[in-house]
Amino acid sequence: MHLHELSALSGLLNQPSIAIGITILAYVAALRLQRRFPTNPALNPTLVAILMIVGLLALTGTPYEDYVPSAGFIHFLLGPAVVLLAVPLYRQTALIRASGGVIALALAIGVPVGVATAVGAACLLGAHPETLLSLAPKSVTTGIALGLSQSIGGIPALTAVFVIMTGITGAVFGPAVVRCLGVRDPRILGLSVGISAHGIGTARAFQIGEVPGAFASLGMSLNGVITAVVLPLCMGAFA
Amino acid sequence: MIEEVARAVLCLALGEVVARTTAIRIPGAVIGLVLLYANLQWIGRVPDALGSLADGILKNLGLLFVPAGVGIIGYLHLVQSDLVPIAAALLGGTVVTIGVVALVADRLTRSPQAMEAQNAPT
Repeated sequence: MHLHELSALSGLLNQPSIAIGITILAYVAALRLQRRFPTNPALNPTLVAILMIVGLLALTGTPYEDYVPSAGFIHFLLGPAVVLLAVPLYRQTALIRASGGVIALALAIGVPVGVATAVGAACLLGAHPETLLSLAPKSVTTGIALGLSQSIGGIPALTAVFVIMTGITGAVFGPAVVRCLGVRDPRILGLSVGISAHGIGTARAFQIGEVPGAFASLGMSLNGVITAVVLPLCMGAFA
Repeated sequence: MIEEVARAVLCLALGEVVARTTAIRIPGAVIGLVLLYANLQWIGRVPDALGSLADGILKNLGLLFVPAGVGIIGYLHLVQSDLVPIAAALLGGTVVTIGVVALVADRLTRSPQAMEAQNAPT
């Protein structure tokens, strides 16, 4: 390594150990910030960590292309993490059997409405095609949404941020919307928030109770799998 | 523990093979998820080490999205030009979806038959 490379952090972020270390540090700092202000949903740790790294890259003049391959190992772990979603899903098999009807109903409504409202609204307001494709998987849990965005021709980086913003929106407004509509069934509260706002909505549902939390978690996982199967087929039909 | 890492990575690899060698455009990791679920159905339980592996990784899932999200730095111009449609889709779309799911599911499950199911232990 040359001396001039050491003078700027820019060169250092090429090193996987440094890029990975800084990413984990940023996430830990963001987690602490969230624990300090647990009621502020905008302090989503992933979002805060992304902003911290973006700021760092901008400050040091490091191109994104230098950081990404170095932090590649963290990104790689997303694949096994998505596969491992099978474990909580399997643990809930009894719940799926007991309440299959309402779960299937909520998914049959939520999956198409979630995609159609996002893509429809943005399309009417004149968004670019790549924005529309990146918005389509916005209600799907991030790990699946990224792969889905890539396979339908969207921009995974945009999708990542859209998915997080969707989750925050659902967590903030979801329970109030459901209450205002006079819906009292805790299963439906969980399903609607989990299907529309994935993991972040699910975390909110668990704060309300075990039943909404468990149903939100189910809604999230099943929405992910169903959208991953159906969305590419639909896009194929239109292409 | 390493056996369970192997089980998960093998499911992922098989999923990728299916995704890349067939016309299916489903992400390989999702096919891997279905394969692992089928495998768990087959063995009839979650092995302890697999359970701790899954809990450990999934608890820190948020970290894994950071590198992907940082990529937004290259698309700030697109976000800026599509800011209004994006905001409408994210805010409006999400609130409407939650409302529609809750309302329709609630009305349709309030038939007498469904009331019975609703009273069943959840």
